[in-house]
Amino acid sequence: METDTHKRIIAFVIKSNWYLFIVATLLGFINTPFKFALGILCGGLLVTLNFHLLKRTLYKAFDPSKFEQSKFSLNNDNMEYSDGRSILSGVIVKYYIRFAISGIVIFALINRNIVEPMGLIIGLSVVVASIMAATTLELTRLIFKEAV
Amino acid sequence: MDFFTACVWAAGIAIGIAAFGCGIGQGMGLNGAVQGIARNPESSGKVTVTLLIGLAMIESLCIYALVVALILIYAHPQAAEIIKTVAAVAK
Repeated sequence: METDTHKRIIAFVIKSNWYLFIVATLLGFINTPFKFALGILCGGLLVTLNFHLLKRTLYKAFDPSKFEQSKFSLNNDNMEYSDGRSILSGVIVKYYIRFAISGIVIFALINRNIVEPMGLIIGLSVVVASIMAATTLELTRLIFKEAV
Repeated sequence: MDFFTACVWAAGIAIGIAAFGCGIGQGMGLNGAVQGIARNPESSGKVTVTLLIGLAMIESLCIYALVVALILIYAHPQAAEIIKTVAAVAK
């Protein structure tokens, strides 16, 4: 039951993420100047790709089939896989590489005046908006369930 | 010129504080997730989904701070007017 809820939430976030990105980009290109719309496109694409890469990293790192119960325990201070690799360091290194690349791309976009910064901020909010939408939906569902 | 120096200071302090807070938040989240999975490996799916959403939210805060810091340095909205005013005063 709870696993279904979690699967549903992540599926909703991923779907709504792409929908919001496409809708925001289209609306941007129709209604706003080119640089502003380009900002929405670049920001949305960057943050969506980031989210998918984060998902991939976390699912790979916390895959139950990858670690053995005996090795992966609180007695082991390093919290490592059965082959000795540290889980935390792997996730953190990948996170910093991803974040550095995002930072460089955003720096280039703003520094060279390729995009409008406000458009970029709107594009970067796509994932946050979809997570908020998922939370609101789940809360609404919970409230109505309790009311019934 | 003092205004632009202040902008650079503000940008540096802003991204520093944001990175500090987000780093602590993400570290705590990741630590909690790893400990939770270590205690109960069957719950890894649920913990990973919650962690993914939490990390995405925290990460976006740091990206916002980065964008604001870069705007302050490279794309300040009033930069042109301030340069004009400073030039007029200098004349």
